[in-house]
Parts: sequence; structure tokens; C-alpha cells
Amino acid sequence: MTVGQIINIDGQVSAVELSEQSGKVSVSNSALEQATGWSLKPEGLCRDQVCVPVLNVAALSKADQVDLSEFARLVQQNIVIDAQRKVVALGEQAQIRGTEMATLEAPDFTLPDIHGRQVSFSDYNRRKRLLLAWSSW
Amino acid sequence: MIAVALDADEAAVREWATKEPMSMPILIDKYHIVADLYGIVNVPAAVWVDEDSKIVRPADSIPGSDMFRSFTNVDSEVHHNLLRKWVRTGERDLDDQQVREFQVSPNQDLQLARLHRRIAIALREQGSDAAGVTVHLARAEELAPFDWTIRRGNMPLAGVDPFGDEFFKFVGQWSQAGRPGFKLGTGRTDI
Repeated sequence: MTVGQIINIDGQVSAVELSEQSGKVSVSNSALEQATGWSLKPEGLCRDQVCVPVLNVAALSKADQVDLSEFARLVQQNIVIDAQRKVVALGEQAQIRGTEMATLEAPDFTLPDIHGRQVSFSDYNRRKRLLLAWSSW
Repeated sequence: MIAVALDADEAAVREWATKEPMSMPILIDKYHIVADLYGIVNVPAAVWVDEDSKIVRPADSIPGSDMFRSFTNVDSEVHHNLLRKWVRTGERDLDDQQVREFQVSPNQDLQLARLHRRIAIALREQGSDAAGVTVHLARAEELAPFDWTIRRGNMPLAGVDPFGDEFFKFVGQWSQAGRPGFKLGTGRTDI
């Protein structure tokens, strides 16, 4: 086991113990929950009030280790794994993103400001907002 | 106004953001989460969100001034005037269906490119694996060759001048490909 990183779908980075075996990368159930909010329970893969049924538990989990590719497939997320460097990134699938965008509901996000304070888009709810994306490049 | 810097270089963001006193929140989005959520493929871009948290104008290229007008062919006043009208009267220039039509939905290659870029940034933050950074930045560019937040955004991370030869080479390729990107073209004077 080596310390690795999971970059969650929301951009939060967690240091976790990643196991690698013949190209498959897995984490403990508690590390998965810490990094993604999802955990394997008797009723399936669950996050908050949502559970996704797991038909083939053996393919997902062995000896408290959860296979990350199978996890991503079940929760319908993209995953890129660099097994050599022990970094994993989870993200939204294109079709799901497109569907969400078409609802026109402005998705919330939380990011640090230039002073290091965490700011959420929803902190400015109930008023007109101009979201400006810019960069130094 | 909420400004989000799609930028992995915190020091550069602070340098720009503190040149003049500004009252708006300025957030740093190293992993381009907001680009992913709102379909932002270049900067500067703006999205309008109303009091009910509804997107009433999709992401589009929105220069703050005419400084680069000869290059962008965008009259910045057009957006400024539309924005003033919406803020003062609530009157929009696009209906919901138009907002959907002008959104830039991603494809899977772009979504995977974003993840390779995020791995590159995470490795960059660790500071010990320059080769890993290069590998993942390159993979992101292969997957999303015309996305400016990836192609041009990667340039300073790879030590490439974002106003230099590589940039103009990219602009040439992007033009030849039919300038894929934002669909709305607010203030464009050349279409």
C-alpha cells in the first residue's frame, strides 16, 4: 500500500492508501467514503440518502478493498487512473453533464478565494449573479 | 459579480487580482471545476444566473474591454449593454430554449481531458514528478485539442509563452477547424 491521491468529482483532493494489483487500483471502504462521500453498505453504494444497487459485490469489493474502476462504473462517473503515480481522478460523464446543463439550474460550487477563505456560489443566492471566468494566462 | 480564475498558478492569480482594489469575490479554481459545470471553454467568459438560481444566459466569450478587439473581433459594449438592461429591468435577450441551444455541451474526450489535466495539477502541487505532469498535460491536449482552457491554459504550466509561437500555431489549427468553442458570439463584428 502506498499513499496516493483521489481527486473527487468536485475537485477535492484526498490523500488515501491506494492498493494496486495487476493494474487494478482499490481503496478501503472508509477511505472511499472520506474521498468521495460514497461507501459500500448492505443496501448498495450509498452517498447521503442515495443508494445504487450493487448486483455483483465480488466484482466491486474484496476484503474491505473497493475497486475504483468498478466503483466509477456503478456510480456512472468517469475515472482516470495513473496506477504508477497513484493518482486517481473522478469526473462527470459527458451525457450526464449535458443533461444537467439543460435543466438550466445553476450548479453550486465551493472554492477558495484569494485570501484562502472558502466561498460558495450559493452564498450569493436570491440575487442576480454574473459568473465571470478569467485567468492569468 | 463573482470572479473565478481558471488557473493553477495561485501567485499569478493574486498578482492580477490585487492590481486594483476590487470588491467582488475572486475564487481560484485550479482544477477547472467551474469550467466543467458551466461549459466554459475559454476565458474571459460570463454566465448570467438569476434570483432563482437559474442560468439565463450561457457561457460566452465576454471581453471586459476592447483591448484585444482587433484579434477577437468582439465589441465589448454589446454585452455590457445587454447586461445593464437585464440588471435594471430583468429583461433577457435569450429565452430558455436559446440558452440551451447556445450552451456548449461536453463530449467524453473533453471530460477525460479535464481529468488528465486535474491529475497533472495534483502532481504539480506535489512538486516531485515533473515527468508525470508533462504526460498528463499532453494527454489532456490530445483529447481536447481545441479547448482553450486546456490548450492555452496548459502553456504556462509547460513553460510555454501563452502569447508566443506555440499559441499562434494553436490559433491557426483552431481556426482551420472552424473555431470550435462558444456558440453565442455576443458582440462579434465578423459574423
